[in-house]
Parts: sequence; C-alpha cells; structure tokens
Amino acid sequence: MFSAEYLKELDKIKNKYEQPRAALLPILHFVQDKEELITPEAEKNIAEYLGVPVVHVHEVVCFYHLFTLKKLGKCHFSVCQTTACALRGSEDIIAYIEERLKIKPGEVTSDGKFSLGLVECLGACEIAPIMQCNKDYVGGLDKKKIDELIAKHR
Amino acid sequence: MEKIVTRHFDVPNSYLLETYLKDNGYAAARKAITQMTPALVIDEVKKSNLRGLGGAGFPTGTKWSFIPQTNPKPKYLVINGDEGEPGTFKDKYIFELDPHALLEGIIITCFAIGSHKAYIYIRGEYVKSLQRVQAAVDEAYKAGYLGKGIMGTGFDIDVVVHPGAGAYICGEETALLESLEGKKGFPRLKPPFPAVVGLFGCPTVINNVETISCVPPIINKGAEWYAKLGCEKNGGNRLFCVSGHVVKPGVYELPNGTTLREIIYDHAGGIPNGRKLKAVIPGGISAPLLTPDQIDVKMDFDSLKAIGSMAGSGGIIVMDDTTDMVWAAMVAARFFAHESCGQCSPCREGSGWVYRNVKRLYHGHAREHDLRNLPGIVNNIGGNTICAFGDAVSMSIGSYVTKFRSEFEAKLVKSEYAQPNH
Amino acid sequence: MPNLIIDGKQVEVPAGTTIIQAADKLGINIPRYCYHPALPVSGNCRICMVEVEKQPKLQIACYTPVTDGMVVKTNSPKVLEVRKTVLEFLLVNHPVDCPVCDQAGECKLQDYYMEHGQYDSRLGDVKVKKEKKAFSIGPTVMLDQERCILCTRCVRFADNISKTSEFGVFSRGDHSQLDVYPGKKLDNSYSGNVVDICPVGALTDTDFRFKCRVWYLSKTKSVCPGCSMGCNITVEWDKMRPHQHKKARVMRLKPRHNPEVNDYWICDKGRYNYKFIDENRIQHPQYNNDLISWDRAIDVVTDVLKPLKDLKRTNRIGVIASAQLTNEDLFVIRKFFKENLKGSHVDFRVPQKPGDSDAFLIKADKNPNTAGALNILQPDTDVAAIIQKARAGEIDLLYVFGEDLVSQFGKEALYQISKNVKLFVYQGSNVNETCNYAHLNLPSSVYAEKEGTFTNCQNKVQRIWPAFSPLAEARGDWEILALFAAKLGQPIVYQHSPEIFKDIAASFPAFSEMTYDKISDKGMVLKA
Repeated sequence: MFSAEYLKELDKIKNKYEQPRAALLPILHFVQDKEELITPEAEKNIAEYLGVPVVHVHEVVCFYHLFTLKKLGKCHFSVCQTTACALRGSEDIIAYIEERLKIKPGEVTSDGKFSLGLVECLGACEIAPIMQCNKDYVGGLDKKKIDELIAKHR
Repeated sequence: MEKIVTRHFDVPNSYLLETYLKDNGYAAARKAITQMTPALVIDEVKKSNLRGLGGAGFPTGTKWSFIPQTNPKPKYLVINGDEGEPGTFKDKYIFELDPHALLEGIIITCFAIGSHKAYIYIRGEYVKSLQRVQAAVDEAYKAGYLGKGIMGTGFDIDVVVHPGAGAYICGEETALLESLEGKKGFPRLKPPFPAVVGLFGCPTVINNVETISCVPPIINKGAEWYAKLGCEKNGGNRLFCVSGHVVKPGVYELPNGTTLREIIYDHAGGIPNGRKLKAVIPGGISAPLLTPDQIDVKMDFDSLKAIGSMAGSGGIIVMDDTTDMVWAAMVAARFFAHESCGQCSPCREGSGWVYRNVKRLYHGHAREHDLRNLPGIVNNIGGNTICAFGDAVSMSIGSYVTKFRSEFEAKLVKSEYAQPNH
Repeated sequence: MPNLIIDGKQVEVPAGTTIIQAADKLGINIPRYCYHPALPVSGNCRICMVEVEKQPKLQIACYTPVTDGMVVKTNSPKVLEVRKTVLEFLLVNHPVDCPVCDQAGECKLQDYYMEHGQYDSRLGDVKVKKEKKAFSIGPTVMLDQERCILCTRCVRFADNISKTSEFGVFSRGDHSQLDVYPGKKLDNSYSGNVVDICPVGALTDTDFRFKCRVWYLSKTKSVCPGCSMGCNITVEWDKMRPHQHKKARVMRLKPRHNPEVNDYWICDKGRYNYKFIDENRIQHPQYNNDLISWDRAIDVVTDVLKPLKDLKRTNRIGVIASAQLTNEDLFVIRKFFKENLKGSHVDFRVPQKPGDSDAFLIKADKNPNTAGALNILQPDTDVAAIIQKARAGEIDLLYVFGEDLVSQFGKEALYQISKNVKLFVYQGSNVNETCNYAHLNLPSSVYAEKEGTFTNCQNKVQRIWPAFSPLAEARGDWEILALFAAKLGQPIVYQHSPEIFKDIAASFPAFSEMTYDKISDKGMVLKA
C-alpha cells in the first residue's frame, strides 16, 4: 500500500479526472520519477488505488515506451533513429556511442552509469541528430558532444 | 507576410502571462464570451476556412458543429499535442513559447461547443512543454482566466495538462482518447465518432495545438481576414517544419498555398554542400514522397491531395542525392513497425513484414520474389485496418517503391541471392 | 424491423443487429476470429469484412449494424480477395505446428485457409519468436504465444464473463504477446472455457493434450450431472482406438450452447468430470464376494422380494433412490416400488454436504435431477428414517441406487445395516465404500450411456442421449428393475425411454404435453 504522503500526491492527480482510471498515465510517471522504474509492487498498488485490474496496468506499462520495468543507467541515452535524424547521421552517432560505452541498445553498462535506447521521432528534427539524455533534449549531436556528455555523467 | 501563430516567438519571456497580456492577450476570449454566441463563433471559424493542422485538414468549424447540443452529457475539448509525426516539431514551439495563445484558443473553443473541461494531451517526451504549459495554466487560474466565472463572466472552464508516454499511435484521435482514459492507445472502431461518443463516452472535439492557437486571431480580426491570408478553401498561414538535408532546418510560418520550392530554397536555405534535391516528404512520414519535378506544388491540403500526396502535419523532410532510397524506405518501414499498436492483423503483421522485407533488400539478402511481392504486401495493409495508420504504411512505403523502383531493383542485382542472368 | 438482403437472400432482424448476426440467422457463415456472440465486439481480426452496396470500402460484419434495404455480399471477388489477404497476414508469424498442435481438425486458421487461402505462399520470412511456447499458465490450460493471433477473445472472456481479468496483451506491433499477468495463474472456476473460444491452438487444454486427434471423436449431446444447473454438454468419445487410451472411451466434454441455461460455458468441475464414465466402474453383478451372472442376481433379489409382496410385508422394503437418476429411472422406481409394492419406504433425499456455489453456473445442489425426483417420487418418508429402520433390523430389503451411504452415514451405520438387513442391494455405476457393505452389487449405467431426461434448477426438463452402450455387464437403472418385474410376473412393458416419458407426461400435470420431440436439445420448462 502507498504511504499517506504518497496518497496525498496521487489524490491530487486523480481528482483532476472524471474517471479514476484516466489518472493512470500521470500516476505511472509520478511513481517512475520517484522510484526509477515500475515494480510489480507498484503495479499492484496502483491497480488497487485506481480500481483497475492489475493485468491492465501492466499492459499499459508494457505498451508505452517511456515506462520501464527495469532500472536504466544513471544516464540514459534515447537516440532518435527516424528519417530526419537518420539523414543527418544518427547511425554514426549510435555506432559511436556503442563503441565508447561498449553496450548495445537495450543494455546498461556494468557500472550502471549509462544505458542506450533507440527511439523514433522525438519532435526536434530541426536540431538533428538528437537524443534525450535522461529527460533533456540534446541536439546537433556529433562525436564531440557525445564525448562531453559521457564525461559529464561519468 | 503577417505573422499569426509565431507573432510572439521572438519576444523575451513570451510564455509568461504578463507578456501575453501586453499584446491584447485574452481579449478575443472576452469578446467571444461577452459579445458573441457559440453559434456565431462556430460560424466565424467556418468562414475562416481554418482546417485541422495536425494532419487530416478537416474544416475546424464544421468539426465543432458536429457536437450535438441537445445531448445532455458534458462536452469535452481535447487538444492533440502528441506531435509524433516524424518531421513535425511545430507544436513544441507553441507549447514552449506561447502557451497562453493556446489557452485562449481553448477558452473560445470550449465556449463555442458548450464544453467546460479541456484536456491538453502532450507527448511524454516533451518535458519542457509540459512544464511550460502547466505553468501557464497555473498562472491563468491564479489570474482568473481559467476556473469558475472567468474574467468576470459567468463562464466556467477547467483545463488539465495530461502527459503521454511514448506511443506515436496516440496521435490518432481515438487512440488519444483511449490513452487519456488510462488504457493502451488502441484506436477505436468508428462510428460512433468522437463528436457523439468521445472522451468518457461524451461528445468530444479533438483539435491540434496549432489549429486552436489560430482561433483567437480569427475572433479578433475576423474570418474574412484569415481566409484571405491563405488560399481558396485553406485559410490562414501554417507552420511548416523543414528538416533533413537543408541549410536552415526549422519552423517557418508561411501562408497556406506557398510552393514547396519556395519553402525549401527561399526560406530553408536550400540544400547544403552543393548537392541536388532527390526526394522530399511534404507532410510528415505518412505522406507519399515527392520528386524534384513536383516541388512547384502549392502547399495546401487540396493541391497536395491532387498531386497524390498530402499536406499532413506540415513536416517537410528533404533528401539530397546522396540518399539511398531503399535505405530511406527501410528507415520509414522501421518506424511504422515500431509504432504499430498491434491491434488489427493487417497492420500488426504487415508492418513488421514490410520492414523485414525492405531491410533484406537494403542489406543485399533479398531474393527476386521479395521485390516482386513487396508492392502487393504493402498495398494489402491499407484499406483493411481499424485506423489510418495502415493506410499511412501503404501510401508512404508504396511511394518509395513506385517512385524509386530502379534503386530497389539495383539492390537485387547486388544481392547475395542474385542470379547470374539477372 | 430492418429488412436486408445478404447474398440474394432476404432477412428481417431487430434494429441494432449486426450484419454477422443477420447472416448467422440465414445460415450464412461469415468467417470470424475475434467475434464471439457472448463477448463484446473487438473488430481486430478483419476477416469478417463484407461488401455493402453503396459503401466504397469493405465493412466488418461483426460491428456494422444493418439498415433497412441494405444489400450485402459475403462472397464477392473483393471479399474473397480480402479474406486471402487477412489470412496471409495472420500466417506470416504463425508457426506451422499443425502436426503437433491439438487444435488441428478444429482450427479456424486451417478451416478458413482450406476455404479461402492463398495457396501460392509468399511467406519466406523468419517468423517473430515469442517468449512462451507450450507453457502451462495454470492447472488446466497451456499457452503458446506464437500460435496466438491476438484476437483477444480470452482477454474479453476473463474481463466480462469470469470477471477474473487474468489475461492481457503486452507490448505492441508484431511483438505483442498474449499472457497472464506475470506470476499469476489462470485458476478460476471457468478457466477451461478459454480453450473453447480460442480459435487456434494458442490456448489448449492440458487434460486433452496429445490425447486424441479430433477427427476420431464422435459427439453425443448430453447434460452435465455435476449439479442442478444442468449445463448442456457434448460428450466426445472415441471407441475405435481403445489401445491408445487404455480402453477409456470419453476423451473430453465440451459445453453445448443453450442461451437459457449455460449459454456457451461450463464450469471446470463439470468439464473435467468425465473420467468416472470409464474408470472405477462396477462391471459385473457381485453377490458377497463372488461374481455372479445377471440371471443369478435377479433370483437373489426376487427370492427376497416375492415373499415380502405375497405376505404383504412390503413395509419391510426400504428404497434409497437418487437425484442423480433420470426422470425415466425415477418413474420406473415409483411404479415398481411405490405402486406395485405399496408400503415400501421410498425417498432420495440423502444428507447433502454443503456444496460450493456462485453467482454464475455453479449450484450448491450437486445433483442433476432434484426437481425431477421431487415431482416424480413425491416421497412421504425420509432417508434418515429408512436408515434408522435398517439399522434396527426392521428392513428386509434395502435397495440403494448409487448413493454412497458410507460418506453420508458413516461406517458404523453401514456395518449395522449389513448385519441386520436380510438383503442389502447396491445398484450403481462406480465403485465406492458402500459396495463393501452391500450384499449384492449390481452394475448400472452412467448418464452418458442413457437415454432420458433431467430436470434442472430452473425446472427445465432436458434430454440426454446415450453415447455408447453400457460398459461391461452394466445395464440401465430402469432396465434392471424391468428384469425383476418380469421375473415377478408383473412385466414393466417399456422397451425404450421415450415410452416411459410418455407415461410421465400423462401422469404428472407438471410434465403434461411434453414430448421428447418438443423438448429437443434445448429443453422445456415444467408447468407451474
């Protein structure tokens, strides 16, 4: 069960909606921001809190790209691979990151500091090639920028 | 050219309420509520020829008039800020730089359709947009522009900012409603349409961010003015997003009806490194490709439809002559395969199948029948699915295969399975 | 009411009917995967698309409501082409497991493919691999995610019918996987139903796994004897290959559609309760410890019965009938004992252990024919009194039909009875503890070997048909009494159950005007 403090925050979110289930996505964001991932325990608690069968909470977590069931690196690179970024060299950026960090997309470095994911269009094609570094948009990527980011988060 | 949607973008702190108020902020909302009737507002928007700028280009005023006023259920306005169409990034600017323009548009729209609750659905990756819009909403509530009896009138309105979580399909309006209701983004069977059965089973209007942001100027300056700005049946300006192989990628506000050539060369600086244009996507990845001989087309909904493509989301992606079109097809096919929601069989299985097929072609592992079968497979997806995503796969990938057939055939020649007498 | 034309045939249906329902009414079978009449419409498989005049695009028949004057074509070239297309897409990633898949022979992918498929296959691709293959998701069901065509019938069943929400579809695109919630098992009282509704071999029955190819199965209509709900079933059996099944005949039970009783469903207890038909049967008449012939058995009984009748000491006869018997069995018991041996004590109401029940199909009364027994036997004594008399030595002939008295009254009571009753006869289908105390054990038929009727908790009389003849030397319950009657010189003239039922209808107002034909396979409610 959620703590009373947690519940207060969740109630604030839930009360904005005419039906409790509609609060599911913002609540999952809230929980993941606090706990870094969505655990089975959290799914159960959220399901109970909203009156939704837990299997359908899990369906939502698995459907949407931004929710994660496992812990990502402290610094997670979501690199866009769609057309506009691809035209401006995203493939090279991805290869370079793989080379520097010695991981493939979907993996976390052994020290837990970095992970890499390939995503589709992030809506910032004007500064392609881009990535989200955790939540921040970083555009105009080149090897230098990648080196800087890695150094910063190492 | 008169700037409409981008008029505040260069103003420092444009996103703050105090800045917005300095330029007649919320005057149109006040005018609509105190001096007009809902029917008049709808009529004005109809006359302006404002059309949906998310991709479908449906006449906005007409959409609003579908809301059954005799239905006793509450009405909802949902702003589609999922902006996931590759090549599109304009709504982000409105969110970050002029959120109050959107809020004012929301007030007027709600007044017109008889709604007192609006949801702004913003894609989950747009963290800054979510913060800016929420801050603007908070400011508006504090200053009495949202809430009970706004601006001293009797009109109540509530606005909730709602995050998506990373699924392109939630840009489809009924998938968006499902997502808003806390479910997977599975598009709904239609009819009924959202105007009759929408959010929580109630009549709902879903409009794009940019579309609604155009509403306050229309109310302030009149439908006739707006209609004149664009071209016939497609009033006003729109934000064109240019990306890919251009010197100055970015957002450009230009009248509907501007030619593609003008946008690419006069505004976006043309193609860098002395290269030549090879192909261009005119309206987001779902739009069929155009070739260099087609770029004098007028960028409005009807003209692009006539030429066999679509104006879509206004996302223009430019490809120069270094681009391998089979590779580009693979990138597009991969996008569709990753973003298919998986609900219905033709799209679910077909999008993956097409991607694997094109990938094989690109990497030189394809056999002759792979290319022979590809157009048929691609064609079979569209027209048989629950939503337009399937149609987008067919139209988009189909255009690569049709217009650049020779490149696909060349891949076969180089394929490890190529027959000696090919 | 809208009037429409489908494939040139006219039909009138209530407003709100969908095209697929109207077509079903006409006997036109539009292919379907995700559509099921008892579940909310999903519209995701797309195979039911049909041509509707004046509509440019094909429409899915499961979701489109009919309109007056609508003209529908279900087999135009466009429609046939789209069926091929949809089948092709469904087969892209479907493993061709037919040789090892239990669904073969009743698989909708196979069936529609044979009718509509694109025989020049274009499928030369590696198929998407999914996590779980041949995976047990609970005690009764196995899951194969690769065979799943994601029609979501099971998800909708778990959400709307069993209301237990075990299933979900996780992830998206062609990596979507059907599964139960991680760590959860499919373990509700109706779990087996998802196997029935799964159109392919994604969800298969563990009990039936690799047991018998379905084309060897014969099917007989019957009614489940597990409780007073009387869910309609089909008994599915194979007699041609006894060496494969250790001589068992029944391979499985399936629910049979009856909109007024069980709709399309059956509880797991009822579904899997068929082994007793072939296992642990009483096979031969047994007198004390010796196997005897039927002729001898008849003598054993009539040697005790005749003097009791002649000396008018029929009050020393105790009969414990059973609500497990058919109306026909009970009627003959009434005739033989209550009427021809007036004074015998006849009842059927043994003490019941409280049974589980729910708001759906499971009833606390674990007998299929309590209503029938009440109406036909009209007992004026009670079983406890009979047992008491038997223990006290006041009963010369105690005749028990299939009730396991040891479990109801205890070993001590049965010991006393076997000591103090002159002839204790147990007539039943399966061996139980009571057989050890009975002097004479007579093998009788199980329900699947009988033609007759049960009356369920809705007072609905429902027919059962015999799938095969009784095992070994077993005989029908009323048929055995007819043997005694014949020996006693008062023949019971029935040759077949329908004749008995005719007399039941003539004798009891509640059953009046009922005939087997009228009852057919859907049942008829007793008159108030």
